[in-house]
Amino acid sequence: MRRNAWISAFVILWVAVFHYETLRLNYLSPLLGRELPKLKFLYPPAGWIMFFNVDRSYGLAEVYGIRQGQPVLLDPHEIFATRFIGYDNIRRNVLISVLSGAAAPQFCRYVARKFPQYEAFAVAYVVYSDLVERPGEKLYQLAYRCPLSNNDQ
Amino acid sequence: MRRAREWWYRAFLEERPSVSLSLFRLAVAVTVGCHMIPSFLQVEDNYLSTAFKEHNGSFFPLWALQLVAQSPDWLVWVFVALFLASWACFFLGFNSQPSCLVMTASCYYFYALNSLHIGTLSFDILLVTLSLMWVSGYPGDACSVESLIRAEPKPYARLRPFFIQRLLQLQVAWTFFYTGLSKVTAGGNWLTDNPYYYLMRYPAEGVVRQFPFREFLAQHPGACYAIGIGVLACEFALPWLLFIRRTRWIGLAYGLAFHVLLLTTLHVPTIFFFLFPPQLLLFVEPETLVRWIERHRARAAARPHPILLYDGGCGFCLASVRRLAVLDIFGAVEQRDFQGVVDLAAMHPQLTPQRCRSRMQLVEPGRRLSEGFVAFRRISVRSPLLWPLVPLLYLPGMRWVGSGAYDWVAKRRLLFHRGRMCTTNQCGLD
Repeated sequence: MRRNAWISAFVILWVAVFHYETLRLNYLSPLLGRELPKLKFLYPPAGWIMFFNVDRSYGLAEVYGIRQGQPVLLDPHEIFATRFIGYDNIRRNVLISVLSGAAAPQFCRYVARKFPQYEAFAVAYVVYSDLVERPGEKLYQLAYRCPLSNNDQ
Repeated sequence: MRRAREWWYRAFLEERPSVSLSLFRLAVAVTVGCHMIPSFLQVEDNYLSTAFKEHNGSFFPLWALQLVAQSPDWLVWVFVALFLASWACFFLGFNSQPSCLVMTASCYYFYALNSLHIGTLSFDILLVTLSLMWVSGYPGDACSVESLIRAEPKPYARLRPFFIQRLLQLQVAWTFFYTGLSKVTAGGNWLTDNPYYYLMRYPAEGVVRQFPFREFLAQHPGACYAIGIGVLACEFALPWLLFIRRTRWIGLAYGLAFHVLLLTTLHVPTIFFFLFPPQLLLFVEPETLVRWIERHRARAAARPHPILLYDGGCGFCLASVRRLAVLDIFGAVEQRDFQGVVDLAAMHPQLTPQRCRSRMQLVEPGRRLSEGFVAFRRISVRSPLLWPLVPLLYLPGMRWVGSGAYDWVAKRRLLFHRGRMCTTNQCGLD
C-alpha cells in the first residue's frame, strides 16, 4: 500500500514536470504573459522542437587556414575529428558554434594547436540566402580572424 | 471513483513481467555507449583543457557549469574511467540501479563540461529516459549478471509494478505528439510553408543524406508538402495507434517505418537508431514476450534435445547448472542429476558414474557426447544469452585453455562447497 502511494506520487510528479517543460516556453509562458522558470538538469530549453521550423535559407561556418597570405579552406572533419556511429556531427552543423564572438578566443587557441602549419586563421559565416530561388548563391561574411586583434578580444 | 482507482492500478501499479525493461536496458546501454564513447576517442579535442567547449546554460545552472569547468585534466580521465566501468556494469546488468545512476551522473558531467558534440535535443530525451531507468532496479531483472547471481528460475517472468514501462511508453508517445504540435504551432511552419522541400534543397554539406529520390523531391514541392503532411499525421496519430490495443501493431509498424525514413534521409544522432525503435517496442505487452519464450521452451522440450548430466551431490555443480538454466532462456538443454539416472549406458554407452562425477556430460540428439568445457561450449551455441561469448569460446587454442581451467575448478570443487553456494547439505558427498 505504501509502495503504491510512493509510485503514484512519483508518476504524478513525473507527468506534471514532463508536461510543464514541454509546454512552458511556447505555450504556458505566452498564456500567462511572463517567462516561467525552467527546471534545470532535465529537459531541453524549448520542448520537443525537432526540425519544427525550416526556412529557405541555410547558414554554416567555414574556417580558413592562412599560410604565406593564402587562405586554405579547412576540412571541418579535421577541425572536429570525433566520428560518431551512424551519423556525421559536422553535417548537423556543429561547426556553427564557432561563429559567436564569445567563442572566438577559445577557438583561436584550439585551431592554433590543431593546425600549427598555418600562421593565421579566418572564420567566415556563409549563408545560402534562398535555397529555392537562388540555390547556388553563397554570401560570405568574415566573423573574425585568428590571432584576434585587440578590438576582438 | 472505484473505476478510476482500478484504471490507475492497471496503468501504473499492477505487477507485470519486467522482461521488456530488461531488454530495453540493453538498448539504452548501447545507445549511451554509442553516443558517449566516440567522444572519448578525441578526449584532447573534446574535454581536456585543450578542447573547444560549448556550455549549455539553459540546461545547467551557472554554478554547476562553473564547478565542472574547474576540472583538472586528471579528473576528466577519472570520469572517463567511471563512465566506462558503470556503463559496462549497466550493460551486463550488474548492480543495474547504482551503475545506471553513476553512468547518468557521468553523462551529466561530460554534458556540463562540453555540450558541443554530445548535446543534442535527442540527448536531452535520452537523459529523461535515463532518469526513469535508475529509479528502480527492475531493468536488471533478466538478461543480467544479477539474474545469474540470484539463479532463480525464469527471471524473465519476474513481476514488478508496471509504472516504469508505462512512463517510458508515455514519454515516447508524447514526444511524438508534441514534436508534431510544435511543427504546426509555436513558430512551426509545416502547414503554412514547405519545410520538407527546403530540406531536400539543402546544400551537400547539410543535414540531409543523399538518397535515391532526393533529386526528384528537390524538384517537386507538391510531393514534399504531401510528405510533410504525412510526417505530421504520423506524429499526431502514433500515440493513439500505440495505446489502443487493436491498432497497436499498426502503430508499431508505422513508428518503425517512420524511423527508417528518418535514418535513411537525415544525419540524426545515434539515439534515433538505438533508443527510439526499442522504446516503441515497449508497447509490446510483456506477457506476450513471456508467452513467446514459454512457447519456445515447450517446443524445445517436445522435440529431441540435448541432456546435460551433472553431479547432484555437488553443491557447486548444482549452483552452476542453475545459472546455466538461467542463461538457457529457451530451455534448449534439459538438465538431469546423473545420480537419478537408472541406466546411464542406455543414454550413451560411454557414460559411467565415474565420468559423470568428474565433469558435466552433454548427450545431444544423435548420441553425440561431450564433456566439461567442450559441453559448455556446445551449450553456448544453443543459448542466445551466451552468444556473445561464442566467438571467444571457439578461438583457436580455447579448447586447451578452457578444458584446463574447467578441470582445475572441477578437481577443487569441494573447496568451493565451503563457500556460500553450498546450501544443500550435500556438499560433502562425492
